[in-house]
Amino acid sequence: MELELTDEQQELRDNVRGALERFCPPATVRRMFEGDGAEQAAVAAEVWKQITSLDWPGVAIDEAHGGLGLSFVELALVAEELGRAVAPGPFLATVTQFAPMVQSVGDDAACARFLAPVAAGSLTGTVAFAEGDRWEPAAVRTTASRSGNGWVLSGTKSSVVDGSTAEEIVVIARAEGTSGADGLGVFVVPGADVAATVRPGLDPTIAVADLTLTGVAVPSDRVLAAPGSPEVGARVERAWHQATVALAFATTGACRRLFEETLQYAKDRVQYDRPIGSFQALKHRFADWYLSVERATALCYFAALTIAEDDPRRAEGASLAKAAAGDCQRLSAQEGLQLHGGIGYTWEHDVHFLLKRAKVGDALLGTAITHRARLARLLGLAPEVAA
Amino acid sequence: MRLTFSDQVEAFRAEFLSWLAANRPSQAEMDAEPSVSSAHSPAWARAWTRRMFDAGWLVPGWPPERGGRNAGPVEQLVYLEELSKAGVPRTTNPQGLGIIAPSILDFGTEAQIRDYAMPVLRGERTACLGMSEPGAGSDLAGLSTKAVRDGDRFIVNGQKVWTSGANYAEFCFLFCRTDPSAPKHKGISILLVEMDTPGITVRPLPEIVGPATPDLNEVFLTDVEVPAENLVGQLNNGWAMANGSLAHERGMVWLSGVLQLEMMWERLHHEAPAMLDRLDGLERGAVLDRMMRVYTDVQAARCLGYRGFARLVKGGTAPEQALMKAFASESERELAAVASEASGAAAITGAGPKADEELGGWMARYFGTFRSTISAGSSEIQRNIISEKVLGLPRS
Repeated sequence: MELELTDEQQELRDNVRGALERFCPPATVRRMFEGDGAEQAAVAAEVWKQITSLDWPGVAIDEAHGGLGLSFVELALVAEELGRAVAPGPFLATVTQFAPMVQSVGDDAACARFLAPVAAGSLTGTVAFAEGDRWEPAAVRTTASRSGNGWVLSGTKSSVVDGSTAEEIVVIARAEGTSGADGLGVFVVPGADVAATVRPGLDPTIAVADLTLTGVAVPSDRVLAAPGSPEVGARVERAWHQATVALAFATTGACRRLFEETLQYAKDRVQYDRPIGSFQALKHRFADWYLSVERATALCYFAALTIAEDDPRRAEGASLAKAAAGDCQRLSAQEGLQLHGGIGYTWEHDVHFLLKRAKVGDALLGTAITHRARLARLLGLAPEVAA
Repeated sequence: MRLTFSDQVEAFRAEFLSWLAANRPSQAEMDAEPSVSSAHSPAWARAWTRRMFDAGWLVPGWPPERGGRNAGPVEQLVYLEELSKAGVPRTTNPQGLGIIAPSILDFGTEAQIRDYAMPVLRGERTACLGMSEPGAGSDLAGLSTKAVRDGDRFIVNGQKVWTSGANYAEFCFLFCRTDPSAPKHKGISILLVEMDTPGITVRPLPEIVGPATPDLNEVFLTDVEVPAENLVGQLNNGWAMANGSLAHERGMVWLSGVLQLEMMWERLHHEAPAMLDRLDGLERGAVLDRMMRVYTDVQAARCLGYRGFARLVKGGTAPEQALMKAFASESERELAAVASEASGAAAITGAGPKADEELGGWMARYFGTFRSTISAGSSEIQRNIISEKVLGLPRS
């Protein structure tokens, strides 16, 4: 097992980081935190424009659909840098959720229709999966009922990233009378057809909304997989591994930057005639924090590889990475704030952008607690979730 | 980045596995006369070491005349993993094979190599490391066992403690002070001392678990005469050599901690269903959350070790490897703690002789993990090293 980046991957990462330092510095992030709705939309659009001009949305989309055809590892590296930069915009939902779901579940026609514009930077999307803030098939109660050649969807979805702004929304629903992974169907619904209630959050760079679908009609050409299609549950899970691991990378990226900046602060800040980082108690806390960041990073890399190589351990890998990222954010947010002392507690200082992004990263797509429970099930130590 | 090894490495693995199956000591043989100390080499172990040496499987990364086959670092790593998986010890004298013999090969004279290093490689002699003293544990450079030159020999006086295997070793790789006027780490030399030299008294130190078969010892040296030609390398250059010798196989030192942790996890995973069965739903949830945190640590330890390893193989640096010793040993401690607590009263069963420690209760195992968190650079010292050398925080 070789868990080190190739020279090309290293170069991609450096280029992405450099570009984000140019067009998404802390001042840009501050505009998201301080601006009104119109300003926030403008900032997100500016950043997205830069991102699309650099072809990042197509990084892991097939060349046949206009993408760069690279692996999930490269996609994850971009996600990590975007997390480090606390970048706003549709990348997370469109590229790490919507596109993989279309790729995993849809046929060639669907891929051509929806992936090509994503790669071209002309389409934004998201996935409406969770209900009651649980991202698992057993929690899906939104129903899909047959209607002529198409389907009608009814139900509610929670915590959908870009739920109120995405142009296209993949909705996971189920045929009535089914439960668990059985009977799942996957549909693409125009954003305009869905009622969205924005959930204003601590981190304005990740927009989240709850959705209500009231008899939303889906014609047959927008059905990625009809309920009862073979292996729909497995395909949905496979796509969701990508979303989960990408978010773990973004969270860990923010945590690592928090660590680096706080470490530098401890070297610069002088009290009692010496840098505060020279006190052993703080030194040992930094050592523990460093471990937490490296632990999460190592597992994220492993998880990315299990996806890129389609290894049987991918489900476990995704939960290991997300759990470790969750553990990392707990320590990172705590130490990042505490070790900055008073100025860390001010709105004026930039550190709270990273603190908040770190915490939101654990809250979405299953916390560390949830993913440890998932690991217990995967290891056969606990029964599957009751339907 | 890749999950699998190259075809060349897989071919190497297959070759080793085939040789191992045909040449390994049997479980019955090993159980009939277990090694009870880290310099105790029962007959089967000496024969096993000799077989590995002759076949070039003792230290695969070395040349054939030194018991190897010029294998690369990745192959060496795979070899260590397969031995661990098979439950066959690489050696019953880890200090001899892993630190002492390599140091003599690096710094010793032809005679020293002939009389001390090669016999260790052939399984003929075992050795112990004389380093720590009552007044010199974490602060090893503060050691005070003195060696004074008198004609063609050194006269050694002093005391060592925590000397693994001194009760069985045939010779000692002894760190002593040869220049009391120099700054502490600049006046240290290394002597090869035969353990049956008059003036040496070994007193075993029974441990808190498995007291019947101590591995640790005190070693008292009173006017011990050591031939001058037993000085290893240059006079007063012991500290530099120690950092060289203790750094031996540093690129792979993390692996044994990871393998030990994984073996412990396998045991816990195997016993977990019975443990969980005893508990009610709420308790089960609490225990499983902690167990899965431990599992995450076990997987992370492996991945983190591999991550730096790839860079080291390419000649780069891997600063995060400084985390491995503390991480692996503390994860082991937490694993044993969780297992103990999940076992309830069943955990209080103690361990008997050292060889049975693996079969002992989890509470005994828990205490055993402190051997790893305290020795070879305690967790606290590791954090000093990490924060200062890796993170660049200023010294206190």
